[in-house]
Amino acid sequence: MNKKAGISFYITIAIFIFLTMFPFIWVFLTSIKPTKEIFSSFDWFTSNVTMSSYKSALTSQPLLKYMWNSFVVSSITTLVAVGLASMSAYAVTRLPIRFKGLFLGLVLASAMFPQVAIISPIYNLISSLGLRNSYGGLVIPYITVSLPLAIWLLSTFFQKIPTQLEESAKLDGATPLQTYRKIIFPLAAPGVFTTAILVFIAAWNEFLFALTINTENEWRTIPVGLAMYQSEFTVPWGDITAATVIVTIPIVVIVLLFQKRIVSGLTSGSVKG
Amino acid sequence: MDNHNTSLSKSVTSIKRDNNKVNRKRSFSLNEKQLGYLMILPSIILIIAVIIWPITVSFWNSMFDYQLNDPTRSEKMLSAHIDLERYADNYFLVNNSMKNLQSFDETGLQKETFSDLIAGLDSFHQQLLADTEIEQKYQMVEEMLINFEPVNDDELRYSSIDNDFALTYKNYIQETLNILSRVEASSTDMANAIKTVKEQLTTLESSILQSNFIGFEHYINYLFDGRMWSSLSLTSMFTVISVLLELVFGLIIALIINRVFHGRGLVRVSVLIPWAIPTAVAAMMWRFLYDGQSGIIAYYLERIGLIADTGYLLSTSAGGVISIILADVWKTTPYMALLLLAGLQTIPGQLYEAAQVDGANRFNQFFKITLPMLKSTILVAVLFRTLDAFRVFDLIYVLTGGGPANSTESISVYAYKTFFSQQNFGAGSALSIIVFLCIVLISVLFIRFIGSDLFEKKANR
Repeated sequence: MNKKAGISFYITIAIFIFLTMFPFIWVFLTSIKPTKEIFSSFDWFTSNVTMSSYKSALTSQPLLKYMWNSFVVSSITTLVAVGLASMSAYAVTRLPIRFKGLFLGLVLASAMFPQVAIISPIYNLISSLGLRNSYGGLVIPYITVSLPLAIWLLSTFFQKIPTQLEESAKLDGATPLQTYRKIIFPLAAPGVFTTAILVFIAAWNEFLFALTINTENEWRTIPVGLAMYQSEFTVPWGDITAATVIVTIPIVVIVLLFQKRIVSGLTSGSVKG
Repeated sequence: MDNHNTSLSKSVTSIKRDNNKVNRKRSFSLNEKQLGYLMILPSIILIIAVIIWPITVSFWNSMFDYQLNDPTRSEKMLSAHIDLERYADNYFLVNNSMKNLQSFDETGLQKETFSDLIAGLDSFHQQLLADTEIEQKYQMVEEMLINFEPVNDDELRYSSIDNDFALTYKNYIQETLNILSRVEASSTDMANAIKTVKEQLTTLESSILQSNFIGFEHYINYLFDGRMWSSLSLTSMFTVISVLLELVFGLIIALIINRVFHGRGLVRVSVLIPWAIPTAVAAMMWRFLYDGQSGIIAYYLERIGLIADTGYLLSTSAGGVISIILADVWKTTPYMALLLLAGLQTIPGQLYEAAQVDGANRFNQFFKITLPMLKSTILVAVLFRTLDAFRVFDLIYVLTGGGPANSTESISVYAYKTFFSQQNFGAGSALSIIVFLCIVLISVLFIRFIGSDLFEKKANR
């Protein structure tokens, strides 16, 4: 079905890209307008470009602190979750253990559980451990919530690695741990990396746990912090648009750098070749 | 002799080696198995501790009238309990005030009534302290109260008591309150004294906690709760409409971009960015675009006459529903398109060539080749999206907050508000278990009616 792309095709594509990007374009154009113009005109371009919204966004709320919190929480989550998940995925795809089906079923089922159904016991648990308003309070639930996705993805990736390599390693007297470290891991590295990106993005975007567990402003993550950017009487759209631009930049960078990996990760679970 | 020796030693070493091999092999495979279990153990522990166990606890909580902001209901109690700190404090006060009251009764008309009441309370008090364990605790608590120490140890503070005894004691205090209400005060001093006693008695009563186990009462209440049904139907409507729109648009986009052209990378990036940004950030952006005062989309829609005024999108219920669906479609259609595109690329091109030779037109090709070949991809994508859409929380919570007038409140948002705005953990747990059951039902229906051939296919592979 590979037809030649004509002019009309490129016009369609251009319209599509414009429509998906429109919210970002408008938010960016708003962020460089003076506050007065935001509330009085619908002109696309301003003649008085200003950075005042950016200054105000960074000073009215600890935006950089929010980003740092998100970064720390997501990084720890990614490291631990991918580590644990790659061990589990290796055991499931390579080692002669029983109840594999049961384990994978449990994993898949727990991915489908609604988070609101576990939020109150988790809230009580984290409170009683004294972990509210800390990184640990978010990392524990995040690791667990991202484990199903990570185990599932990594199992798919590990399955694609030919078993002959390991068998020859085994014949040469390598222990399972050595086989895992020297053979499987390097071969699986692209898959592990893809999984890590997806886990990181999922942790970066999580909202419900962050909203309930870290309620102090100092400990908020980006999604919650940005959603709370409102004073009591007016909504400071200038600040919000500027903050949105700032927090979207790292995501755009990640997407630009790793687009192919992300797509392969997103589609590997659902499409059986 | 020499020869013989070497061959013997050779065979010995070979036997040894074989033995070694067998040993190594046995311990190796045993190790492998143990290692395998060891490797999945941390994941299992975490999943059980942070997902499975909390669901069970949620279910257990939903059977109690459990409210964090109400001191008489802030604990889950299967049997009646007594809060010894409040009880000891107030019993002492009530006793004093009663005697005080007696002295104010100059006419002596109520003397008998008062002494009866004092005696009655005393007998209940003695019955309570008849239990040696409670008596010991009571004395310790009393001592701490005298020293103005707070009782922080729940073990010491709460004692389980007999359900019937708790009820009769509470009833007796209630009755005492009624009697006191009927007593005519002969002086203002006496009226004030009666008021004090009544206040103290009310606190005393509230220190006796009846079991708040209520079984399935929350669920029965929700059966008749209009807000629950409207949030459930809003959630279902949102799920069906947005997943359907996302499927249609996603399929169209996937079909369009399934070819070789310049700038695929650009399309891929523009498709991935809406998917990658946090839902809460996307919701905030859309709130700005829909805003009645400075929202560009509201402004344009009004200009072209699609909506009556710019406030329509966020301040009417129909507008609110359209707004959340549109925002969700914008955010997740790209994801759908990606999944479907990957599916399209697995369809072998020869199929289309053969169809062309046989004279099938594009329409026929789509329905006879593309759709059937894409079926399993579509089913998986729709299942995942449906489960996700049914749990919708961030988008609605940030975009509309469930408003106006709860018209865009999804069931997860309703449960969250019950938990953390009303602090009602019992009722909130019941709602969250309802969400859970709906998710289970959807999964089962998918697997049973639509997905069965899909899963069979997977199993056969």
